[in-house]
Amino acid sequence: MSCSLSVEERDLLQKHLGDLEDTMPPRYVWHRIEEQAHAEGLFKRSIGVHVKWLAGLGTAAALFLAVINFSTVKMTVDQESQYQTKTTVLDETDGANSNQNLNSLMVQSRAIERNLRILPAQPKIVRVGTAVTITEIEDRIAEVDYYLNNSEVDLESPEAEIYWRERVRLMNSLLDVRSAQLQQVVFDQR
Amino acid sequence: MSKFADIQIDPAIVEKAARGDKKAHEILYRAFAGPVYSVGLRFTRVPAHAEDLLQETFIEVMRSISKFRGSAPVGAWIRRIAISKALMFLRSAWHAKGQSMDDDWEEVIKPQSSISQGSQRQEQAMDLEAALAALPPISRAVVWLHDVEGYTHREIAALMGKSESFSKSQLSRAYQRLRPLLHTELERQDAKSLSGSPVLKNC
Repeated sequence: MSCSLSVEERDLLQKHLGDLEDTMPPRYVWHRIEEQAHAEGLFKRSIGVHVKWLAGLGTAAALFLAVINFSTVKMTVDQESQYQTKTTVLDETDGANSNQNLNSLMVQSRAIERNLRILPAQPKIVRVGTAVTITEIEDRIAEVDYYLNNSEVDLESPEAEIYWRERVRLMNSLLDVRSAQLQQVVFDQR
Repeated sequence: MSKFADIQIDPAIVEKAARGDKKAHEILYRAFAGPVYSVGLRFTRVPAHAEDLLQETFIEVMRSISKFRGSAPVGAWIRRIAISKALMFLRSAWHAKGQSMDDDWEEVIKPQSSISQGSQRQEQAMDLEAALAALPPISRAVVWLHDVEGYTHREIAALMGKSESFSKSQLSRAYQRLRPLLHTELERQDAKSLSGSPVLKNC
């Protein structure tokens, strides 16, 4: 049995085989491949990338807003602290200015209240220690308010000034705790 | 190397595909679906099998492209996967039938008498697709690998898990079958007489 082809036959065979046109597969084959690839997780989810971007953008925006709020609060607190320091100096140097001191304490108290209101709402998950601290401070503020709202207390008496001073101190503490709490949440998110 | 070598792919597309980019994989598929499907079709002759092989090939491409180092063209790499899948299919089909690959010539339909009859030969167009289709699948694969893809007998033997002599034997029998068609075509082209042309000693 001769297995050979002549050179011409061989060339002809190779030429014809090489010239054979490719056949294109049906369109649905790609969809089958696509489905299997998705099922096996062979494609990186492009939509996931977008979501990740949006999530990143959202976090960045939240962080930015938190930083702005925090800066504003700190600035206000710093200003108030300066003011308070000045008040203390006045208290020490001139007891006759007690009414002025009382007024300034009231102004401070309102300013801190305003700052507390502009802080973002408390996060859904709060550390137990922080929550207890906040509740304690709020209860003590409520006690002070009870005394200050009592009709028997003379609002111009030295006693009233003590209560107002205590109220300002508690409000400052509350502001500090809430700011620290907010800062913790921002860092936890990162 | 068949059509695979003619297709140029931007390395950036391959890199994107390696990162799991769906669009890049679709570009690779659009570029190579024809050659891969054609290999499957020529090896199996059954469109449904060719579609399965096409799917298996590209799923394998997606699974392994991150390991592709780019030392060879991506077309050569995809071709190797496609051929490997097609041969695996042929082997499993034969194993499923409980037969050896060497037996497949016994199942081949006897050559049509028309091929050997001169008067009809003249009228018969050169249809190598049909001629190849008439070959047993393994022989068809050997012809394709040897004469189109440029594989050596050693490489074919390695791919098929057989000896070199097995590959040579399959090719020899395929040539024997194809020879009348080729002869007829050459006569039609008024080529010089076959008797005067040199004969290849090693096929």
